[in-house]
Amino acid sequence: MNEAHRPAGTGRQDAKSTLADLRDARVMVVDDNRVNRHLLLALLERGGITRVELAEDGVDALDKIGTFKPDLVLLDLMMPNLDGFEVCRRLRAEPIYADLPVLVQSSLNRAEDRNRAFSAGATDYVSKPINAVELLSRVRIHIQNRMLLRSLQHYRHRTAAELTLARKMQERLMPQAPQMEKVRCSHGLSLSAHFAPSSELGGDFWGMRCDDRDRLVLWLVDFSGHGVGAALNTFRLHAILNQFDFTGFDPATFLGLVNRRLCPLLPTGQSATVLAGVIDATENRFLYASGGATRPMAWHPGDKAPTLGDNSGMPLGFSSSATYENRALDLGRDGRLFLYSDAAVELPIGNNEILDEAGLEALVIEHMGERDDETFLRRLLVSLSAKGEYEDDLTALTVTRER
Amino acid sequence: MSEMDYTIENKDQEAQVRMTGRLTFNDHAKLRALIKEMLSNPAKRQILDLGALEFVDSAGIGMLLIAREELSNLDKQFVLRKATGQVKRVLTVAQLGKLITIEE
Repeated sequence: MNEAHRPAGTGRQDAKSTLADLRDARVMVVDDNRVNRHLLLALLERGGITRVELAEDGVDALDKIGTFKPDLVLLDLMMPNLDGFEVCRRLRAEPIYADLPVLVQSSLNRAEDRNRAFSAGATDYVSKPINAVELLSRVRIHIQNRMLLRSLQHYRHRTAAELTLARKMQERLMPQAPQMEKVRCSHGLSLSAHFAPSSELGGDFWGMRCDDRDRLVLWLVDFSGHGVGAALNTFRLHAILNQFDFTGFDPATFLGLVNRRLCPLLPTGQSATVLAGVIDATENRFLYASGGATRPMAWHPGDKAPTLGDNSGMPLGFSSSATYENRALDLGRDGRLFLYSDAAVELPIGNNEILDEAGLEALVIEHMGERDDETFLRRLLVSLSAKGEYEDDLTALTVTRER
Repeated sequence: MSEMDYTIENKDQEAQVRMTGRLTFNDHAKLRALIKEMLSNPAKRQILDLGALEFVDSAGIGMLLIAREELSNLDKQFVLRKATGQVKRVLTVAQLGKLITIEE
């Protein structure tokens, strides 16, 4: 089969490419009348189609189709052994022939014959005696459609494969189960995370690192927009964070420096909200800074409601001179911290309304008594999904101090 | 969910743009068109009235920053006015007032 297609997406269908389509096109003529077969062959050749295979009935056609691999079948209806209706039906039952153009040519000219042919799976119908100009025009149209469809399918498959690979790369930007398990053993901090881009790729990510005093540093980032553009920015920022020196980590200084590195890389209009902080077990607190992130929540067993931290601060990318402020949430033994991207509060819940902070807090209150963070997060996400459908990427993270 | 829409009215030395609906990632093309109109509008002060805007996301805020930058390149003033509800909260959290004039 000829695989040399035009690049997809150019949208060009000029005379040159049409001729190329026809020259490369393979057409199978199925007719039990020898004179008709050769008449059609001559006609196709005159129209520029030279790769033609002839079959004398339905059985012969089905025998040859697998090796010839036509781009179009010109099919007679009334034939011995296996008629055209049955050939159509059998072809359409095979997934690989589902889009194959089948142009029926027949002397059966009543409306019900045409209907029967179409319901058997014919693509189009021309009447005998054959009108040469009409037949060639229809053959051309169907071949062009076929080539266009094929190049679109090719493009789609390639894009889907690339996006799947990119998605795996993006998932690997984030800490994996073994690393999280390690932190649990070394720091007595149990972590659970959820990452769900609204399309194949997303603009969210989270990460962690230990500073020189062996405190756990965490960040959750949400780039504006979603899809491929936002995802490329997550790789950019991840590279910056990887080179960062975490000695004497201070959240406000950290955000200021990261912002200054990121600003020249982002065009105006692109930005990221971020929350970065450190779990300080000796001080029993979570010290953090926010660049327009969502409000962090923290609570201890027995609390009636979570404490919501201050979240004001300029998102990364707004201004290279932005400065940030350190804030703290109490986080003692058995305390739990909950961080999330804005998809959770901007969740549409119908009636042109969004869940909002208060709505999310109510759901957190419902589940905050769960002993382990994984169950808490799972139940919370089920409740969120019951409220509405996300339009944006959702990332959520919980940390529980086990000692 | 209603998409963003707008009307422009010239008053004295000001152009008043009234924005309605939801300003999100999906309204990029429409906001570009609005910025173009504001750039060619003769008024020195371009007021964006957000009183009837129901929702803005971070991409929407980004587009407001693009508007500010392009207007200031032409020496035009850009003012956000009357934000309420979610829109006001988002502008406040992001400290947008440090970059764009925000009026009640």
